[in-house]
Amino acid sequence: MSEALVFRNFGLAHRRPGGEEVLLEGVNLTLPKNGFFVFIGTSGGGKSSLLRILAGLIESREPAPRMSGELIAFGKSLTGDRTESLNNEVAAILQDEGLLDELSPRQNVEMALAASGRSRKLAPALLAQAGLASPPERVAQLSGGMRKRVAVARALASSPQLLLCDEPTAGLDPEAAHTIAKLLREAHDQDEGRTTIVITHDLDAFEEFADGVLVLDRPARSLRLEPPEFRLKGQDAVAKATDAAAGEPAAVHWTRRMLLQLAAIGETIVDSVRRLPPVEMGQVVRTTVRFTLEPALFVAVAGAVIGGLATFFALRNNPIDGGFETALLTGTGKVATAVLVPMLSGFFFTARIAAGASARIGTMKRTNQIAALRMMGVNPADYLLTPLVWAMVIAMPLVTLCGVVAAALAAALATSAASGITMVGWATAYFMTVSAHDVLVILAKSTLSGYLVAVACYHLGSGPKRSGADVGESVNSAIVVGMALVLTVHAGLTFLVYA
Amino acid sequence: MHRLRYFIGLLTLVGAIIAAIWIVRLLRSLDDRAGVPLSVEFRNARGLRAGTDVRYRGVTVGTVRSVAISGDGNKAVAQLLLEPIGAEHACVNSSFWVVTPRFGGLTGGATGLDTLVRDSYIAFYTPPGSESELSPGSLIAGRERPPLNAEPEALDDVEHGDLLMTLLVPENYELKPGSSVIFRGVPTGDVRSVSLAPSGTHVEVQLRIQREHRQTVTDKAKFWVGRPSVSGALLSGFTVTDLSALLTPYISYYGAPGEGVLVQDGYRAAAELSRPAFEISPVPGNAVQQDNTGKPAAPDDVVLVRITYAAVERDTFSADDQILRHGSGVLFLDRSGRSVVVTARSLVDASFTEDDAWGDPEIADEVTKVHRADGTVMRAHRVWVDPTGQDLAALVLEDVPPDLLGTPSDRLVFGGTVAGVPLQIRAAGPDGAELPIQPMASELALSEANLGGCIAADGKVFGVIGRKVGDVVAAIVSLEYLPADLRPQ
Repeated sequence: MSEALVFRNFGLAHRRPGGEEVLLEGVNLTLPKNGFFVFIGTSGGGKSSLLRILAGLIESREPAPRMSGELIAFGKSLTGDRTESLNNEVAAILQDEGLLDELSPRQNVEMALAASGRSRKLAPALLAQAGLASPPERVAQLSGGMRKRVAVARALASSPQLLLCDEPTAGLDPEAAHTIAKLLREAHDQDEGRTTIVITHDLDAFEEFADGVLVLDRPARSLRLEPPEFRLKGQDAVAKATDAAAGEPAAVHWTRRMLLQLAAIGETIVDSVRRLPPVEMGQVVRTTVRFTLEPALFVAVAGAVIGGLATFFALRNNPIDGGFETALLTGTGKVATAVLVPMLSGFFFTARIAAGASARIGTMKRTNQIAALRMMGVNPADYLLTPLVWAMVIAMPLVTLCGVVAAALAAALATSAASGITMVGWATAYFMTVSAHDVLVILAKSTLSGYLVAVACYHLGSGPKRSGADVGESVNSAIVVGMALVLTVHAGLTFLVYA
Repeated sequence: MHRLRYFIGLLTLVGAIIAAIWIVRLLRSLDDRAGVPLSVEFRNARGLRAGTDVRYRGVTVGTVRSVAISGDGNKAVAQLLLEPIGAEHACVNSSFWVVTPRFGGLTGGATGLDTLVRDSYIAFYTPPGSESELSPGSLIAGRERPPLNAEPEALDDVEHGDLLMTLLVPENYELKPGSSVIFRGVPTGDVRSVSLAPSGTHVEVQLRIQREHRQTVTDKAKFWVGRPSVSGALLSGFTVTDLSALLTPYISYYGAPGEGVLVQDGYRAAAELSRPAFEISPVPGNAVQQDNTGKPAAPDDVVLVRITYAAVERDTFSADDQILRHGSGVLFLDRSGRSVVVTARSLVDASFTEDDAWGDPEIADEVTKVHRADGTVMRAHRVWVDPTGQDLAALVLEDVPPDLLGTPSDRLVFGGTVAGVPLQIRAAGPDGAELPIQPMASELALSEANLGGCIAADGKVFGVIGRKVGDVVAAIVSLEYLPADLRPQ
């Protein structure tokens, strides 16, 4: 078998409400193995969509592009009823490179090596090969060119048969672009039988390295292979009008979207349970420590203010001077300890942590870090969802404890300030009706709400992100949904247990 | 920055865990704290809640730890924890009851009204003379209602000179401690206690007639229990007597003036079955003029007493100073019959003499005692000090014996001096007996042999020995500064 990719009467169309946007029609093309192809075409013409199909990075929460005909990659059919995945045979360098921010460049490469079952010790060699013998400690310290080099090193970690690159020279000066192009060609030549497809607008940089130019002709809705000298000649004319007749009605489209969303929620929940045994132990521990320690003081202060004020004013605004003080204290203690402070601690915790967590995941999604994880063969749920769930489930009760205890201590101070009740009297009255059972209920409420907030944060963060605004939107939603979940769990369990 | 945030968070978390452990230990140890745990059984706990007070003489001395139903379901059991101070006063014959609002009918009045707006609480009463303290863990049968004999606690103390007597009545008619004793419609005393005679044939009512009315009780006086009675005939109309007793029964007595002899303490009399028929004597003619008869006999000399004053001055940075002083004072009865001792303020008020570099001295545990020549010792309260800085103070004695006599009022001069007569110092010695009279010297050194002693001239007292204002030099402080309320009639 000498063909890398075989298109047979292949068609590709975006599903849009009320119609379809046809990108390709009746493509018949064969790309030989071992070729280094430059892939050009009009912006928005479907190059990236095709690349994502090849890389297996189709967004599961949106209607997938409709494909017709046949697309066979390395003998595996990517179309039809039984689509197969290329798995380790493909690696992609996506736009923004998708380097994991929180790891060092070297760790990024090591992770890809480990995911494909190779020794982590190969990382320095790969980086050196990519021209980065001594990379800086953090991804943030990398320049644009260095990022590309790390991305190349990481992509090569799994020694893929098919290497896909999306605009690897974008934003680089001609000299740097040339260097990267050369690097890609060297990487291509390193392994026998490797096929490389590079999406680019910078034909000049790749001219001397390319074996052929793959042209996506938007007006003709076709794909063809040209010699390396080929240049586009002002043919970026108006695309053909959308073929409305071929599309599905808007209602069907929106129903499909809705069902996909619901399925995605279900998938996140199933993942959260199925993926619960930690794979990335370090991530779990790091996240748990961070989620516990960061908001502890914040929630404790909030709890102290609530507990102290509630007690002080309950006693001070007592309509009968000195009357029913113990009863007031008992009521305040029970409400503050079992209901109010745990719930408000949940709110404060959610506001403090959920926003950060969903922003982080949203950014990772937006900058292709999640896609990069998937490309490496790492399940994003293992890397992001499981640590989040564990951290929330452990941190929420601990942080709630801080809030409840701080509230109690503040109540003790407020009691001595507002009435003559002694410390023992306060303890007797304040905790009179608080029992171990209440502690269990608090634990149940904080654990359950912690779990739900974690699932919501991950789900909202890992949804499709086309822009920074989408990230902001998901943070917003995470806070609102997280708070609503905390409220629902606390109100519901409180009502169920005590009413 | 991250490290600092984590460190602060770690501190908070560790602090919260330590505090949680502390709270749990505090809650666990509430039952193990110093004090005496007791269980009290009631038939009806009347809404008693855990956490409310246990009170003795209105002071909170313990806490109700829990209220539960007894194993057999017949009783409510309250677990109490008495503080050490409360445990001291809880004896084997103490009565415990739940204080809730109770309305004892028109005559019984309402009690426990504070618990209308407060939680019910447990009160207990220990009869005088009880000494066997309750052992921890005792199970006591509580009372369902307050014991009757707990009420005398609310009565005023018997004062020196009051007449204490026993009235035997055939039937109690709901008299109770505190009920009035009335003569000519004027309250002259009160009922101290009511008890059934051991033989069961009558009721013995202890009465106290106030000192100033003792001369109204003679062996000819007739006593009866005031309760409404209707007399008269259908045609002549009705007379209702003692109508006010409908709500509150009382004891009334009457004796015609001049009849019989005055009675002594411990006098016993039998009450009439009903209000006796008698003619009330009219107001005597000589009453229109000033009537000065009936005053108790007075001694004819100045009465001096020995005063011992002890106190502690609390110091912040050094050991507390013990203060102990001795001196003298002049005893007399003031216009309301109280036994008053007038003396130098520097003797009986440490705050007047002590200095503290850090502001006003903190004086605590003040005890003032007055000794008489016959060996009796009485506690005294400092009721007045001269507000203008004169070294003059007045004490009022408590638990005074009935035979205590004061300086006659004609021997006290309030204002002015006696001219042309040599001044003498009179003071009491350590045993309370009067020291030899000394002549007044111009350069007098203050000592316990003269401090608070009186300055007399011609047998009349017009001042005490104290300090000169703002100085420590001895000076004569005139009695003119004593307010009129504290002077004899």
